[in-house]
Amino acid sequence: MIITVTLNPAVDKVYWVDRLRICEVAEEEFMTRALRSATSAGGKGVNMSVFLSGMGMENVAMGFVGGHTGHVVVRDLRDRGVTTNFIWTREETRTNVTVLEQGHESVPMLIGEAGGGVTDHEMERFLRRYRRMLGRAEWVVLAGSIPPGIDATIYRDLAQMAQDAGAKVVLSAGGEALVQTFESCPYLVKPDTREHRELMGIDLASKEKIIEAGRHIASCGAEMVVISHEVTGDIAVTRDAVWEIRTPVRPVEFRNLVGADDVFLAGILFRLVEGDGVEQALRFGLAAGLASAESEEKVCREIERIEAEMPKVTVERLEREGA
Amino acid sequence: MKVREIMTKDLTAVEKDVPVRELIFILENAEMPNMPVVGDDGMLIGFISEKDLIRAALPGYFEMLHSASFIPDMNQLSTKLLKIADEPIENYMRREVHYVTEDDDDLRAADLVIRQGVKNLPVVDADGRLVGRVRRIDLLRHFL
Repeated sequence: MIITVTLNPAVDKVYWVDRLRICEVAEEEFMTRALRSATSAGGKGVNMSVFLSGMGMENVAMGFVGGHTGHVVVRDLRDRGVTTNFIWTREETRTNVTVLEQGHESVPMLIGEAGGGVTDHEMERFLRRYRRMLGRAEWVVLAGSIPPGIDATIYRDLAQMAQDAGAKVVLSAGGEALVQTFESCPYLVKPDTREHRELMGIDLASKEKIIEAGRHIASCGAEMVVISHEVTGDIAVTRDAVWEIRTPVRPVEFRNLVGADDVFLAGILFRLVEGDGVEQALRFGLAAGLASAESEEKVCREIERIEAEMPKVTVERLEREGA
Repeated sequence: MKVREIMTKDLTAVEKDVPVRELIFILENAEMPNMPVVGDDGMLIGFISEKDLIRAALPGYFEMLHSASFIPDMNQLSTKLLKIADEPIENYMRREVHYVTEDDDDLRAADLVIRQGVKNLPVVDADGRLVGRVRRIDLLRHFL
């Protein structure tokens, strides 16, 4: 069984508009009417849970929720077949807004809230429940931002507890949370570089630099490190090889990029759990991410559509360690 | 149909040493009328409801409701609730729990819900660990 931990989940609100008017028209024209909108449970681990559940893979989503938006998250997850196990907090779950302008969907406007704080007592309750769940878990996903007030070392502690219980850890995080955790040997690491194209002091300006950063993380014990290179390409560094995953699909064909990166990682995890090798897992992961990005629905869970994307993905082994 | 196909897959539960005050917060926020109580191994060991808390604060209230028109003294309820607010729920939980397993039939779950007059039942796996709950509304939706 897989546990996904999303300490700072969100309600994802997406608006599609024909044209976004900001500070360019007279007061009476300020209104931008949405052509349509969608509301769903969000957050990195939550998105991964939704995908895994769609693939028929049993998983439990854990973290903190609160208020009306907390109920939106939990209800959406249950409707999508995910088992929920959240701690209820006094603070309201955050809302992240995405505005997609017609014809420019590959360049979304994103407004993300920081999220409410979590008290020490609420964290204690979570840790107790997390420990209890570890007895059933083979994999633990630690993903997304950390709520305000929680120490950046929390993922390191959760990773250590999971490994002590015999579970493999997947880490999808950025900033200080990543720095504090990658040395605790997660099995699979996906650094979040959306805000800063820099890792461990290495500027991710070129493929070579990305490989260098990936190798640095892998040298600390990770079996696989996946780092975004371009919108349609990624680099994976394993213990003995470097892989480049690419697709010729142009970003202009994307309809909704929200969550596509999480689906990519969930796709890799899904195939690894199923027993596939690295190459097949990477190919399936990018195909799943592509299928999601090309549709308006945030998480594509249709296996036929994912398989139809597979021929568009190339996975090239760039080099072998020591070669 | 099996219970696993109609149940709500939620593992919200409390431990027996949780104070009454905290249980009330969780019941309110999770919008659940009752809560399974689990051990540190995830095994179902008890059950506690809003009704059990009222009974703890006002012993005899529900019995009186059946025999005569009875309006409780709200001050009395408040005073007594405050008295027990920091006590562990194990003092008031029920240890004999009505539950179903995920492999039970839907009819068994419906029968228990109706007979026991409860809004939901804990669902456990073959090892006795909590895996969800089947709500009265789950059954109504299922049988519609």
